[in-house]
Amino acid sequence: MTAGQVPPRPDGPTAAGSWSRGALTLRLTLRLAWRNLWRNGRRTAISLAAVAFATLILVFGVAMQEGGYGAMIASAVGVFTGELQVQVEGYRERPRLEETIGDASALEDRLARLPGVEAVAARAQAFALVSSPERSYGAQVEGVEPEHERRVSSLAGTLRSGRYLGAEDSDEAVIGRTLAKNLHLAVGDELTILGQGKDGSLAVAACTVVGVFSSGSPELDREMVEIPIGTFRRAFALGDEAHALVIRTRDLDALSAVRREVTAALAGRDHLVALDWSQIEPGLEQAIALDAAVGWFLYGVLVLVVGFSILNTFIMAVLERTRELGVLLALGARSGFVGRMLVAESLLLLVLGLAVGVALGVAVAAYFGAHGIAFSSSEELLAHWNLPARIHPRLDLRALTVGPLAVLAATAAAAVFPVLRVRRLRPVDAMRTI
Amino acid sequence: MRRTRALPRLGLVFRLARRNVVRNRRRTLVILAAISVGLWAMLFYAAFSRGWENDVVDHAIGTLTGHLQLHAPGYLDDPSVDHSMAPPDAALRRLLDGPRVAAWAGRVRVPAVVQSERETAGVTLVGIDPEAERGLSFIDGAVGEGRALTSVDERGIVLGRALAERLDTGLGKRVVLMSQAADHSVADRGFTVIGLFAADREATEMSFAFVGRRRAAEMLGLGGRLSEIAVRLGDRSRLAPMVAALRRAAPELDVEPWTALEPLSQAILSLAESWIWIFYLVMYVAMAFGLVNTLLMAVLERTRELGLLQALGMRPRLILGQVIAEAALVLAVGIAVGGALTAATLALLSGGIDVSGLAQGAELWGMSKVIRPALTLADVVSAVALVTVLGLAASLYPAFRAARRVPVEAITRG
Amino acid sequence: MNLRRLVLASSLLLPLVLAPASPAAEAPTDAASLVRQALDYWRGASSFAVITMTVHRPEWERSSRMRSWTRGQKDALVRFVEPAKDAGSATLKLGDDMWIFTPRVNRVIKLPFSMMAQSWMGSDFSYNDLAKSDELVTRFDCRITGTAREDGHTVYTIEATPKPEAPVIWGAERVRVRDDHLLLEETFIDQDGKAVKRLKAEEIGPLGGKLFVTRYRMERLDEPDHWTELIYRQARFGTDLPDALFTLSNLRNPRSQWEDK
Repeated sequence: MTAGQVPPRPDGPTAAGSWSRGALTLRLTLRLAWRNLWRNGRRTAISLAAVAFATLILVFGVAMQEGGYGAMIASAVGVFTGELQVQVEGYRERPRLEETIGDASALEDRLARLPGVEAVAARAQAFALVSSPERSYGAQVEGVEPEHERRVSSLAGTLRSGRYLGAEDSDEAVIGRTLAKNLHLAVGDELTILGQGKDGSLAVAACTVVGVFSSGSPELDREMVEIPIGTFRRAFALGDEAHALVIRTRDLDALSAVRREVTAALAGRDHLVALDWSQIEPGLEQAIALDAAVGWFLYGVLVLVVGFSILNTFIMAVLERTRELGVLLALGARSGFVGRMLVAESLLLLVLGLAVGVALGVAVAAYFGAHGIAFSSSEELLAHWNLPARIHPRLDLRALTVGPLAVLAATAAAAVFPVLRVRRLRPVDAMRTI
Repeated sequence: MRRTRALPRLGLVFRLARRNVVRNRRRTLVILAAISVGLWAMLFYAAFSRGWENDVVDHAIGTLTGHLQLHAPGYLDDPSVDHSMAPPDAALRRLLDGPRVAAWAGRVRVPAVVQSERETAGVTLVGIDPEAERGLSFIDGAVGEGRALTSVDERGIVLGRALAERLDTGLGKRVVLMSQAADHSVADRGFTVIGLFAADREATEMSFAFVGRRRAAEMLGLGGRLSEIAVRLGDRSRLAPMVAALRRAAPELDVEPWTALEPLSQAILSLAESWIWIFYLVMYVAMAFGLVNTLLMAVLERTRELGLLQALGMRPRLILGQVIAEAALVLAVGIAVGGALTAATLALLSGGIDVSGLAQGAELWGMSKVIRPALTLADVVSAVALVTVLGLAASLYPAFRAARRVPVEAITRG
Repeated sequence: MNLRRLVLASSLLLPLVLAPASPAAEAPTDAASLVRQALDYWRGASSFAVITMTVHRPEWERSSRMRSWTRGQKDALVRFVEPAKDAGSATLKLGDDMWIFTPRVNRVIKLPFSMMAQSWMGSDFSYNDLAKSDELVTRFDCRITGTAREDGHTVYTIEATPKPEAPVIWGAERVRVRDDHLLLEETFIDQDGKAVKRLKAEEIGPLGGKLFVTRYRMERLDEPDHWTELIYRQARFGTDLPDALFTLSNLRNPRSQWEDK
């Protein structure tokens, strides 16, 4: 190099320049994409509608699922199971009277003080023969702490007649509606309980029925008797023992955190475990899984079919403009630029469709979320599935994201096609296309 | 102006349609994919749902209930030995032995306790006439180990497999059956386990113990009286008239169809039915978007050609017809492929969909451990009809658009 | 006249009948009559006895004392007097029905048949064992399978198998009876042929005027260190017992003029 020559220009744009150029390119790309989209308004509108439809179905569907399953779980958890329970390991699989939690009151107090724990109640349980003067039936007898039990289970609030249990020591009982009917018992009548105590002797208790509950769960209504835990312990020869410590947390989201705390609090008592509701009632979780699987089959196929529908749109979008694209390329546009423009078109369409779909889905879900949907007219069915008369779809994070993401993923795959096509385009041949 | 005759015209229309369809292969394939997958999903879901429904119905009817039952008044509220009925009289027998009834059986059915050496369990004791139960309830053919009961006099008991396990007893061993006799004394008797039956649901295996009916009646002091009569009809749809006829013939008895005896099952069935239609509709709408768009695009790209044809004298009706024919072709092939896919899938799944890992959940929904998809002709016809009719309806819009274009504009359009 | 000894609890539990008549042991003719005589030896027209029951488990042992009365083959009353926890509890057998009374609960409860297999007062005897006293005769077929000489007596081993359709869960029972009508041993065998529990005479001595087994132990063979012992402190046979003793009202409200005899 000799003096006096102009230093060569730097190869690429300067740092400052590249931003503005990038921005310019982006704006240009978007404007072109938008304009191209609406060149064939009808087609775009229909494709948009397809995407919106799929998204609407998914958002509303998932919201329905969240609402429905949430109701089923809340019902099971709230009426009886609680979010967590502390039990002796192995008790859930084979409940035996001897498998008790010793020093139950001390542990109960300790657990009640943990952060995140809303309420704790101790229960002692046995399967025994329950008799009225006329009949006998096998039933599950639960010894409960009336004050604590009220805060842990909503059963106390479902009394059809009479009242809930009073003191911890009284000879009172509350029984399910169906059991009362089978035994020909009403409030004020007497009930005898015969079972086997912990020391093998005959466990006997005689109680007055003070209340009859209608919990909504056919099993509970047919098979359960609640008596005060003091009475239970006396009859079944137990000391300060319990079979389950039922724990309520603020909501299901807080569950795992609280569970860790509880497990830590159980340190040193190796034979005790903390179980969550899905371990106590595996059937419910399984039923939900089954139903969800069927739901996802529908969603999957829906997204696939809509994806195919959209794919054709994208294919046409490229094929019918072959000549035009060829001209663009011949004029010096980089194939990368053209590709990006097409992708922008596709994505714009998808995003627009998703937005409309989400908006509609949210609107519908919100409307029914407020009013509820009558799922079935059959009372037995609803009771069997622990469902309230009306299900309220729940618009949570899952409902808002899962559906749109699924649609986006499937249709975005279709959007790749134009880019590939453009790569293969040869300007001269392209321009010759009619 | 050329005039062509009707039949060749139709042939022309279809030839043109076929050429158009084939010409743009990729596009056709894509929309075909949409239609086949859509139809496959509809049919598969219908088959799955029917399989589920069959489980529900079979369980409701087959597990002893039958299509309808007769009881002494009061038995349904209190199914004990206190509420027994006399054996059917001549009028009743005429109906029961009549042509509309496929099978009927009288039973003794009371709550009882089974005791083995180690354990005691509550069961429902069912005294049956094994020959009458043939074709009526599940117990015929359900005995997997040992042998089934063969007569009303047989001295032996058949237990559910799960119950035998729980009681820690088995074939050839004796168990003691205890119940309340008609005179309210304790009736107890030893029975040798001669057979174990298996059922779809564990709950069934745990609930029932079968003995010969006369043995049960003897033990309970019932004489010839029965607890119930279960009836299975040749044609399930004739249920209501049969119930009415039986009520007239035996006004002192309680006659109830299975739908009243098992309201839960009924509810599940109507639910499943409505879900099928919702599924169909949603699938159809999804497919329709694609179909309409594809046809519109096909029409658009042939604007010039269509304009030319019109200018040359082809009636708009034929243009319309051509587009519709295109749609029909695509639909036909799509349906055929979808149908083939369905057949293949169902053949693959002929062993059923095993959900035994989720057995407890399945029971909650009324399903058994293995769901056997069962496609009915009605379902196929309704799915295909829906897709065809509505698909063709959807094609009307692009067809009209095609036929309405003014020739000059069409030709001059690039 | 032979005093007919009868210790209620044991007689209820032990399906042996002792012939109420002659002191000279009759030459055994067949197994069934051997058994019947042994059973009759235990039960007679009436009896009264005081018994201590000890229930033993690996972790603990518990003793209680009871008084028992029997009438004929079918009726019997047992009342606990010690310890204080159990005092007042009673069981009444009238024919085929069994009633229990617990002062704590202050109710008379008819024991439903489904509870009969439950252990009686936490011991190794079940209510069934209590109730089916003459079961060995009525529901089993007996045959002699062996003879031996012990302590100057002939001891017969008898195998009893349940009659078809008998409501008996055992596979078989093996009984050893002495020629003077004492029951030495009763082994309960399950349907697989395995011996599950065994009643054994531990001590023999004079009681209420005749030779009797004064200590019985019922032992669980499948679980070591689980047994229940019955020790007969005193007994009276053939006394006149008021019929009112064997009523539900007495079960609930023991009348001292009848029970404190």
